Amino acid sequence: MNTYTICIFTENTIGLLNRITIIFTRRRINIESLTVSETERKGVSRFTIVIKHESRDHVEKLVRQIRKIVEVMAVFGYLDEDIVSNEIALFKIATPLGATPLDIEYINKHFNAWVVNWQLDYVVIEKTGSEKQIFEFFNYIKPHGIIEFVRSGRIAVGKTEKGLVEYLPDVEWEYYL
Amino acid sequence: MQTTVSEVTEQQVQVESSRVATPEVDAPAKKLIKPLTGAEALMQSLVEEGVETIFGYPGGAIMPVYDALYDYQDRLNHILVRHEQGAAHAAEGYARISGRPGVCLVTSGPGATNLITGIADAMSDSTPIVCLVGQVFASLLGTDAFQETDVIGVTMPITKWNYQITSADEIPEIISKAFYIAQTGRPGPVVIDIAKNAQQELMTKAFSYKKCEKVVSYRPRLIPKQDQLEKAAELINNAKRPYILVGHGVLISKAEKELLAFIEKTGIPVASTLLGQSAVPCDHPLYTGWLGMHGNYGSNVMTDECDVLIGLGMRFDDRVTGNASKFAPQAKVIHIEIDPAEIDKIIKAEAPVVGDAKEALIRLLPLVKENDHTAWRNEFRKYDAIEYEKVKAPALAPTTEKLKMPEVIDMLSKKTNGEAVMVADVGQHQMMTSAYYQYRRPHSLITSGGLGTMGFALPAAFGAKVGDPSREVIAIIGDGCFQMTLQELGTIAQNKLPVKAIILNNNYLGMVRQWQQLFHNRRYSFVELQNPDFIMIAKGFGVDGHTCSKREDLSASLDTLLASDKPYLLEVIVEQEENVFPMVPAGTSVSAIRLE
Ligand SMILES: Cc1ncc(C[n+]2csc(CCOP(=O)(O)OP(=O)(O)O)c2C)c(N)n1
Repeated sequence: MNTYTICIFTENTIGLLNRITIIFTRRRINIESLTVSETERKGVSRFTIVIKHESRDHVEKLVRQIRKIVEVMAVFGYLDEDIVSNEIALFKIATPLGATPLDIEYINKHFNAWVVNWQLDYVVIEKTGSEKQIFEFFNYIKPHGIIEFVRSGRIAVGKTEKGLVEYLPDVEWEYYL
Repeated sequence: MQTTVSEVTEQQVQVESSRVATPEVDAPAKKLIKPLTGAEALMQSLVEEGVETIFGYPGGAIMPVYDALYDYQDRLNHILVRHEQGAAHAAEGYARISGRPGVCLVTSGPGATNLITGIADAMSDSTPIVCLVGQVFASLLGTDAFQETDVIGVTMPITKWNYQITSADEIPEIISKAFYIAQTGRPGPVVIDIAKNAQQELMTKAFSYKKCEKVVSYRPRLIPKQDQLEKAAELINNAKRPYILVGHGVLISKAEKELLAFIEKTGIPVASTLLGQSAVPCDHPLYTGWLGMHGNYGSNVMTDECDVLIGLGMRFDDRVTGNASKFAPQAKVIHIEIDPAEIDKIIKAEAPVVGDAKEALIRLLPLVKENDHTAWRNEFRKYDAIEYEKVKAPALAPTTEKLKMPEVIDMLSKKTNGEAVMVADVGQHQMMTSAYYQYRRPHSLITSGGLGTMGFALPAAFGAKVGDPSREVIAIIGDGCFQMTLQELGTIAQNKLPVKAIILNNNYLGMVRQWQQLFHNRRYSFVELQNPDFIMIAKGFGVDGHTCSKREDLSASLDTLLASDKPYLLEVIVEQEENVFPMVPAGTSVSAIRLE
């Protein structure tokens, strides 16, 4: 199994998420994670979808099927070595009276994780990094009692020198940048 | 070294974006003064698109549009079908013969869901239809309101594009986009769901209509890349045993003339898929017949033996390839196809050519060398002779008392000089219509290929007649199929459409029975039909007809049918347990082809 990260640039319209996921469903491919947001160009959304698949050939066919959707402008499929990617996780950790105190300095220095919210009985720690790094931290912090844990989908940029939006159709785009 | 997926797609996208860089000058938009309601704007938009005929069925959620239609009767011909499925198939028949999108107009909920089979059918066969569907008020969307169905959700996987309109102002732009998307690139069905408030309310701006010429994110490639063409030409020029398979794409792009020029220069023999039938005249010396599960023996064997296979405007459907891993085992494949998603999908292409069939042929012609491939072509004669002796001769000169389907189609072919439009339903009679009619003109076989939709033929036939009234349209229908949409006889009668229909009645769901006979030990599980008196039914609808059950009456029966200037139904009683051969059993390779 290889992990593939599929970046899809689309018009920002209703129903597109559905239209895209149908293609995965029809081919019985599970979506590991999915993030969507508007890009630096107004009206252009970027989907980042992570899947695992045995066959590169099938992934290429999938990419072509996605490209067929009328509102889709460009699709790129990546192997992990082609991209820089990240995720973010939030950990809500119990801090009751008398419990082992959190070693905040170690958490900062060793894990690059930060407390983003203090409350009486708990703290919220934010950790960004790869799935592996997040789970390393998970295992470290687990003995303290994780009340809640949430992880975002992957976001990624390609390792090419060009921005992917350079590949989008030539029209007068309005930029946020 | 293996390239990464990203490189492949990046290259592809890069070239595409450079191609859309030419800015087009916008023509000044036409203006009307008085504000229109959404429904009026819809009517006006259809007129601007050059729509002449609408196939439809009214209901609550589309009433404002029907009300507006009342004032447009002089410009828009509306045909009231008897079931929305009929509207969809009629629109398909219209589109298939005319090359222009067929238009359906139906109400929300059940009206829309009744269209589903036809929409899926149009998707499978790349047929441009535009379905305009009523929807509940936008304020009620998502509340399970009366006759509310999530038409966008339901049709998403079976449409090329769909869109929900919730305000009158959107109508002109979306309608022009709908027509553009339906008929460009690889054509397909488009559904536009129009909330009732959008039909009723006044537009806030003056109506103006501009035909859509491009959609930013949608850029079908028509002109193939030169390097792809050159690679294909090189393979063709070096081939010893080249073979061409033509599909529906050739007819869609109207490339028949270019195809003839191409095969006549290169001397390459050619077969067609079911939907590619009639792209090449059947009597052309380079035409070897059709191919696939029930295709000609020689054509199937030649794909097995060829060294270069040119798939032109076709998609290597499994009914064509059989077991894809054993398909054309010796061949390097050139795949000329407008839809890049089809490339390498089923059969790996050594030389893909992405583009329109006609454009590709025009550019390939100067690159290919003259040739005649005599020895290779003569090989085909050998196989053809075997098929003739084992299958065709006995089928055309039967010794049994009951009529056989092939003799009916054959006689019809001769009487009409191969010039009629045959609209075949689905089953044994469909395969016989493909195999025994000698097509002479393009766009002469209209049938449901990809979806195999029973009930297709009768409505598609009157759609085709509306699409081209100058041609003789003859529907060939099984007794099973007929009972799926026979109510459309009413539409045909009311609109005085001189469609001819022939029921080949074998009292069975024949094609299923054939499979049961061959693969399920003759266990005829629920395939026998107790049929009504079809002629009496036709007469009830006001359509004349008669039954023919004897060989000596066949000729006169067909003459009566053909001589009629009104709709006419001929029922021919045929052999009950006849089988269609050749046959490549599903999932096997073409070398397993059976002749008996
Ligand atoms: C809507 C639909 N239901 C079922 C089928 C499966 N099917 C394919 S051919 C066939 C039999 C058709 O029988 P008939 O119309 O009598 O034609 P024949 O094969 O006898 O010529 C059936 C049931 C289908 N293709 N479409």
